[in-house]
Amino acid sequence: MTAMQGRKRVGARWCLPGFLLALAVLAGCGAPEPPSDSGVNVAEALGQAEAEGFARATDPRRFRFPADHGPHPAFRNEWWYLTGNLEGTGGRRFGFQVTFFRIGLSAEPVESPSAWAANAVWMAHFALTDAHGKRFHAFERFARDAVGLAGAQAEPLAVWLEEWRLTGTEDGLPWRLEMAEEGIGLNLSLEPQKPPVLQGDAGLSQKSAEPGNASYYYSIPRLAARGTVTSNGETIPVTGLAWLDREWSTSALGPDQVGWDWFALQFDDGSDLMLYRLRRRDGATDPHSAGSFITPEGGKRALAAGDFELEPVEMWESPRGGRYPVAWRLRLPALGLELVIRPLLRDQELELTVRYWEGAVDVHGTRGGRPVQGRGYVELTGYAE
Amino acid sequence: MKILLLLAWRQLVRQRLQSALTLLGIALGVAVVVAVDLANESSSRALERTLDALTGTATHHIVGPPRGFDEALYLRLRLQGVRASAPVVEGFIRIGGETWRLLGIDPLAESRFRPQVESTDEGALRRLMVEPGSVLAPPRGARHADAEGRMVAEAGGRTEVLRLAGTYRSNAGIDDLLLADIATAQTLLDRVGRLDRIDLQLSASQVEEVAAMLPPGLHVEEAEARRGHTEQLARAFQINLRAMSLLALLVGAFLVYNTVAFGVIRHRELLGTLRAVGATPHQVVMLVMGQALLMGTLGTVLGVLGGLVLGDVLLALVTRTINDLYFVLSVREVTVAPGSLLLGGGMGVAVTLLAAGIPAREAARVAPLTVQRRSHLERRTGRGALIGAVVGAPLILIGLLLPQLAERSLLAGFVALGLIMIGAGALVPLLVAGIGAIGSRVVRGVLGRRAVRGLSAGLSRSGIAVAALAIAVSATVGVTVMVDSFRVSVADWLEAILVGDVYVAPPGTVSSRVDGTLDPSVVERFRALPGVAAVRGTRRVEVMAESGPVSLLAVEAVSHTRDRFTLLAGEPESAWQAFRAGEAVFASEPLAFHRRIEPGDRIELMTDRGMREFPVAAIYRDYGSEAGVVAMGMSIYRQLWDDPDHSSLVLYAAPGVPTDTLLANARAAAAELSQTLEVRSNEAIRSVSLAIFDRTFTVTRVLRLLTVLVAAVGIFGALSAMQIERAREHALLRSLGVTPGGLFLLVGLETALLGLVAGLVAIPLGVVTAEVLIDVINRRAFGWSMDLVVPPAVPLEALTLAVGSALAAGIYPAWRMARTPPALALREE
Repeated sequence: MTAMQGRKRVGARWCLPGFLLALAVLAGCGAPEPPSDSGVNVAEALGQAEAEGFARATDPRRFRFPADHGPHPAFRNEWWYLTGNLEGTGGRRFGFQVTFFRIGLSAEPVESPSAWAANAVWMAHFALTDAHGKRFHAFERFARDAVGLAGAQAEPLAVWLEEWRLTGTEDGLPWRLEMAEEGIGLNLSLEPQKPPVLQGDAGLSQKSAEPGNASYYYSIPRLAARGTVTSNGETIPVTGLAWLDREWSTSALGPDQVGWDWFALQFDDGSDLMLYRLRRRDGATDPHSAGSFITPEGGKRALAAGDFELEPVEMWESPRGGRYPVAWRLRLPALGLELVIRPLLRDQELELTVRYWEGAVDVHGTRGGRPVQGRGYVELTGYAE
Repeated sequence: MKILLLLAWRQLVRQRLQSALTLLGIALGVAVVVAVDLANESSSRALERTLDALTGTATHHIVGPPRGFDEALYLRLRLQGVRASAPVVEGFIRIGGETWRLLGIDPLAESRFRPQVESTDEGALRRLMVEPGSVLAPPRGARHADAEGRMVAEAGGRTEVLRLAGTYRSNAGIDDLLLADIATAQTLLDRVGRLDRIDLQLSASQVEEVAAMLPPGLHVEEAEARRGHTEQLARAFQINLRAMSLLALLVGAFLVYNTVAFGVIRHRELLGTLRAVGATPHQVVMLVMGQALLMGTLGTVLGVLGGLVLGDVLLALVTRTINDLYFVLSVREVTVAPGSLLLGGGMGVAVTLLAAGIPAREAARVAPLTVQRRSHLERRTGRGALIGAVVGAPLILIGLLLPQLAERSLLAGFVALGLIMIGAGALVPLLVAGIGAIGSRVVRGVLGRRAVRGLSAGLSRSGIAVAALAIAVSATVGVTVMVDSFRVSVADWLEAILVGDVYVAPPGTVSSRVDGTLDPSVVERFRALPGVAAVRGTRRVEVMAESGPVSLLAVEAVSHTRDRFTLLAGEPESAWQAFRAGEAVFASEPLAFHRRIEPGDRIELMTDRGMREFPVAAIYRDYGSEAGVVAMGMSIYRQLWDDPDHSSLVLYAAPGVPTDTLLANARAAAAELSQTLEVRSNEAIRSVSLAIFDRTFTVTRVLRLLTVLVAAVGIFGALSAMQIERAREHALLRSLGVTPGGLFLLVGLETALLGLVAGLVAIPLGVVTAEVLIDVINRRAFGWSMDLVVPPAVPLEALTLAVGSALAAGIYPAWRMARTPPALALREE
């Protein structure tokens, strides 16, 4: 579950990110402001490609790895979503988010002698939270799936937009994530600590009652991260934990959701928790909200909307407009979990073509009466005004 | 004071014809100035807008060889962090008989570069990217699409069906661009794998860094420099137009002065009476000025309105010329520039007041009774003629010397032209007096002597009228001689360069330019054609020189080629040898002029192997490009540029093969090729070139016509007033026994004499004007030299025009005079 999917969930039309901005505005997807440099193209609605011709997620499928780490161009949308908490020498804390979105423009290849012809475009987001320096940086890029500007392949894994890239070695692991822009950088090796977790029904994540309105969704909830962060002119060695979300689909959803709250938490006892709450226009929680609890051994327990209670405990007013609940109380009676989630920084809002909040958090609480703590990432969409 | 104003008004109303003519004169003068200025302004703004859209917010461009460069460079730059960059493929296609600039872009790289244009159609961008051949058009371009959104276009000689992905709107008024995805543009413009340029936003410190990443043959160019170059081209043309409008202004001003001043002189009795009954000099001046202001304002308003209408007509002509010669541009409406209206309006009112002010002051200063006496006035005017000559002669001298002093200044040329004209105008009254004095001694016969004496006797009236007519006619003569000289030179030049029999080229998008390409296989096809003795290929491309882009002409240096170049400077034998050996290049005359190149100098050009220096062996005549051309041998071009293509082919007929047969064979061969080619005889090329030449001067012709019209109206006004004025004198003649026919003859003769004097002055003045236009203005604006050719008919035409318009203007007054019963005319006293 990601920001992008959240955006998709709201509005009469799909709210595709980036250069689909104009549409996104119309659909009220967090009502982002047009970026000041909106020009011939970016401010223009690219328009939604017809679902016709693209594959749909209708039945559970067999996932094969490492092939499924690579692209699924038969589906209209797909993303690679990495978040993580890192620690440098002296306990200096960082958070990062890296997302590669593939957006299919046409199910068919474009017939042209030109190498520039592309039936898909890519958008990537890169955000770094420097808790010590109290700074948050966010960057965005677009490129077409052509002439080597952006693309993805399975073996060895490569997902890239220009020099931003996630790559595997010849043997597969570890993966390397290299991101840099305007003096902010990230260079990490990523080693999965748990096997992929298939979300929803064996990887089929149903978004509404209608068949096909679903995605294929898996996560790697725990990757050991090691490398460097560059911030403020300094390059700092770091270690930490990352989370990978992968999703692909060709779905179209109902008009009644306005946004959502997504949580990916990693506890110090080795267990992990993912859950999302879809917010309806009337403020209620959508019944398709869901989640999963992953044991240290990698076992999964599915969570339904009724299994958890979320309560904001602190609101943060964005200087760019909108109020975000940035701290939460979370109760999962079935697991005996009672948690308080607090952000590393209040302002972890990405002011990009679509504005949303995605930030590193700390978690404290109890599990069955015993103290438990952890770190994680929270994504909040639909609050921007 | 109220009475005075009432008086002024009544006077205007009573002399309806006079008033109407004055108004018409002022209005015409103002209209011409306003119209030319509006057309100029509108076309420069449109040019600016288009350049804005093309440049966008780029600070620099990476440009390279004529056919573009490897697209892989773009990815390399991006990966090395040059992210403020956007690839561009650019060219021309034709839709519905109109040439459009097609801009191929990567929409995802564009946002920061071209913010002035945005599409309003949902999903247009997606269609642009996934539907090959789809374009974004401005609303007026969308009209060419059928119900399914298809448009038939010609691109590089092929017919393609485009799809309209949507329309764009532009808040900057851009409507002559088609936007396409870069993949579509590469396909349509035959650029697969290549880019024409990469737009960049760089800080000063990054320029070197980026330049260091480029392979040889490519370089970073400042956006301003590139833009300035295009603007400069069109500017020379606009300056010439402005010169024409200034001529119109000059004639218009003379005319306004003449009519207004004459009106004042005419009413000197009234003014004298007013002074006699106690009006102060100040009141008299106010009366005259008030009247002039009223006329000036009315005439100016009419003129500005007329100028708006006329501006529309001129704009169409101006735009066509710019398209023919410089740049694909569409200007659909006159941009009403307040500056243009102010210029014309200000001129109208200011000159009117000036023209009224001088005689008004004079009338006010003289003692009440003297002012009524005619003889005094004529005496004063006689003195004025002397003063005019004293002022005029030095003006002419300064005008003749000025271009020598300010050697390259175009402005100095115009100032010189203005000074010569004004100086000559100032000399005219003395000349008229002189002719009158000499004539009265020489001419026999009562009527003849009277007519001649009438010249100098009525100097206050005739002097200025003749001067205005002389200036108008001389402007006409000057422009005619210049255009004719130019045309003769161009025709000679065409004769020299069109040495082949049949010419083959892809259809040009800008008529004066070949910008298509022929690939080598096409050349082989024509070489094998029956009846062909030889095939010579030429390549015309744009390359970078150290001082901006320059046209490069590569020719196969065979023996025929030699005749193609008319060398103006340089030692022909050695120059030709060096050229053929690939050791030297030739520079065209405009290039040599603009960049101050002389034989023996060196010119640096960006080749695919990097910057190279070439010695210039000779300067040759070329009217094909006013920006200038470097000509070199084909073999050296092929060595230094990776470009195997041709721009055009020249076929030479084998002995005994008629051109028509070769033409038919070549057309048949061309029809079998997938690329559309234009196959034309040298005769057809010559006539097309001359047609473009003539079209270029249409606007000049229109202005010339207007100038004469302005002058004729002025002459008519002045003469009819003059004749009406002399009613008493003529009535006296009638009562002394002169028949109406005799009187008609007398007045006619007088008028014809005025015209003759004007014509005689106009011939030398016109030739001098032509000389200045050719040697100073054209040379400085375009760098072209040409031989002054005065067609034998010109002096006769000038005399006919001058006498004819004077007579035309004199007939009505003469007829009226002859018709008026003497008693009635005498009674008016």
